[in-house]
Amino acid sequence: MFDLWNNLALGLGVALSLKNVGLCFLGCLIGTLIGVLPGVGPIATITMLLPITFGIDPVGALIMLAGIYYGAQYGGSTTAILVNIPGEATAVVTTLDGHQMAKQGRAGVALGIAAIGSFFAGSVATLIIAALATPLTRMALLFGPADYFSLMVLGLMFAVVLARGSVPKAIAVILVGILLSTVGTDLESGEERLTFGWSEISDGIDVAVIAMGMFGFAEILRNLEAPEARDVVKAKIGSLLPNRADFSQSAAPIARGTLLGSVLGLLPGNGAVLGPFASYSLEKKLAQDPSRFGRGAIEGVAGPESANNAGAQTAFIPLLTLGIPPNAVMALMVGAMTIHGIVPGPQIMTKQPQLFWGMIASMWIGNLMLLIINLPLIGLWVRFLKVPYRLMFPSILLLCCIGIYSINNSPIDVVMTAGFGLFGYAIVKFGFEPAPLLLGFVLGKLMEEKLRQALVISRGSFMAFVERPLSASLLLVSLVLVIIAVLPSIRKTREEAFQEAD
Amino acid sequence: MTLQAPGDRAQDSNPGIVKSPLDVGGGLFLIGVAILGFMGAFSLPFGHLSGIGSGLLPKSVAVLVATFGVLLLAQGLVFGGDRLDRWGIRGIVFVLGSVLVFAFTIRQLGLVAAGPLTFLVASLADRETRPVEVVIFAIIGTLACGLLFKELLGLPIPFDPLSLAGPLHAPYEAAKATLKALFLGRVH
Repeated sequence: MFDLWNNLALGLGVALSLKNVGLCFLGCLIGTLIGVLPGVGPIATITMLLPITFGIDPVGALIMLAGIYYGAQYGGSTTAILVNIPGEATAVVTTLDGHQMAKQGRAGVALGIAAIGSFFAGSVATLIIAALATPLTRMALLFGPADYFSLMVLGLMFAVVLARGSVPKAIAVILVGILLSTVGTDLESGEERLTFGWSEISDGIDVAVIAMGMFGFAEILRNLEAPEARDVVKAKIGSLLPNRADFSQSAAPIARGTLLGSVLGLLPGNGAVLGPFASYSLEKKLAQDPSRFGRGAIEGVAGPESANNAGAQTAFIPLLTLGIPPNAVMALMVGAMTIHGIVPGPQIMTKQPQLFWGMIASMWIGNLMLLIINLPLIGLWVRFLKVPYRLMFPSILLLCCIGIYSINNSPIDVVMTAGFGLFGYAIVKFGFEPAPLLLGFVLGKLMEEKLRQALVISRGSFMAFVERPLSASLLLVSLVLVIIAVLPSIRKTREEAFQEAD
Repeated sequence: MTLQAPGDRAQDSNPGIVKSPLDVGGGLFLIGVAILGFMGAFSLPFGHLSGIGSGLLPKSVAVLVATFGVLLLAQGLVFGGDRLDRWGIRGIVFVLGSVLVFAFTIRQLGLVAAGPLTFLVASLADRETRPVEVVIFAIIGTLACGLLFKELLGLPIPFDPLSLAGPLHAPYEAAKATLKALFLGRVH
């Protein structure tokens, strides 16, 4: 316990330097600014803004990136409430009651309670991360290559179970991601794989190129097809501060949402996406009058928003302690960290405690900043959202192009991103989900590495994966997950859980 | 709105051989990807288990992808399902076209030309585009991007290597000077 406070104090010392506070502020502000744009989710936002962290030292860059991430999350909620357009899957739930509240002239209260709930959830999640970091890192050091491999299999299986649509399609799309990860020079033999003699991709495909193409450009293509159906709130925004009745109604949902979101966020394989859905169903079940939900119930905003933010943050735990990204956003974070010369994993905490604890402390500061930045700026966001999409999408495109060009100062990257835009568009048109692909892409490289190491250690015996108790149990859980996912009764509840939001 | 997968819509019954065009299309897509992947790794060695060759993973994953593709294809021929969504060709041509325009002009002409060109080509993707509005937005957007990314954040973006900006140069320099005064040089 004493260690925990010591570590947090060390982190606060790093994060509270004038420069790092400034970077955190800038990250939150720009992240929100881009995240507010309709149809631009956290993945596209982070990719677009990645180059602005270049030239900053690793600690500052990570703090800024984390700020961009929270800002993008919060910007997405703002758009969900004000315009009824969710920037990403987890904000879908917020549109249900949040936008209804906005229509009733209570947009201010909805945004206020979302910010306050998120802040509370973020504070709790920061403490959870700090408390779990040391024991988990210690545990990670016991992991052999076989265990790592099995853990990643488990993570991907979770991603399959939690993806929308059919199970075989989810597995297939992850496999395509893994296939893409083999493009480039094989690190062990030096042979070129899947490059077709094209030297531009002999270093492999940049995760940012795939992310921007599939989440930035493809999203614009799909938005252009839907007729402009934006309904920016015309009612007044109203007071931002919830009154006493609002607070007493929201307090319990915020606490429950925080707990749900924190636990689900820890799961490998995009557990965080479940948080808001689970919280919404729970609040609806517990409510005395469930019919209020969908008509502007404040619990329907407070609970899911807290769950969302808590999960968004605890999702950092598998990344920072084990080096395994649990979802697509964290997969992108791996790419971002690598650019700054940081390899995510248990060694960060032991070798670079300043960086590790500084980043964790900055999470809390970032949450506080979002509260301070966003509440006064809501009027600005509303005006911003009134810009018609016909002018907004060329601006988004230009920002995307500048962002992707700046990562390597390479026009070829821009061309490849356009290719992945088409690829991402096709994938969605054929009924696949793009997020598991990105996760498969990043995990694919790690999995091959660990597979090779494990087989070298065991001298070519696959028994290594079932003989080690840790690896065996992880594989067993993965197997159970697949079976559960294809069982008809579970499939039905799974569909219902997602349908709730449609 | 944008998160709706095509599979979420109501099912259509289809009398032809193809019962579910969505699944058949998805299956063919996967098979295509798998073939491409397998060809790219064709000459690479499998190796043996204690020393995996560079070809093992790509080839076996490609085979798995193809297996799922065939399954999906078969499913689409037997069971009913969704139609394929129409593809928005106009959007694809102009949106991705504008990205290519950016890629091919940024080095030689700089942001001052690449920005408005990208903006103009992209805006053709939307039928409701109004020319005057777009031109004004394109110019302001480009200058703002230049100020933000090049001057404020210090990214090495070619801005105006050929001095094409002409009359716009003076206000840009003035804005740049103001920004520098405001932020005392650069943020970092």
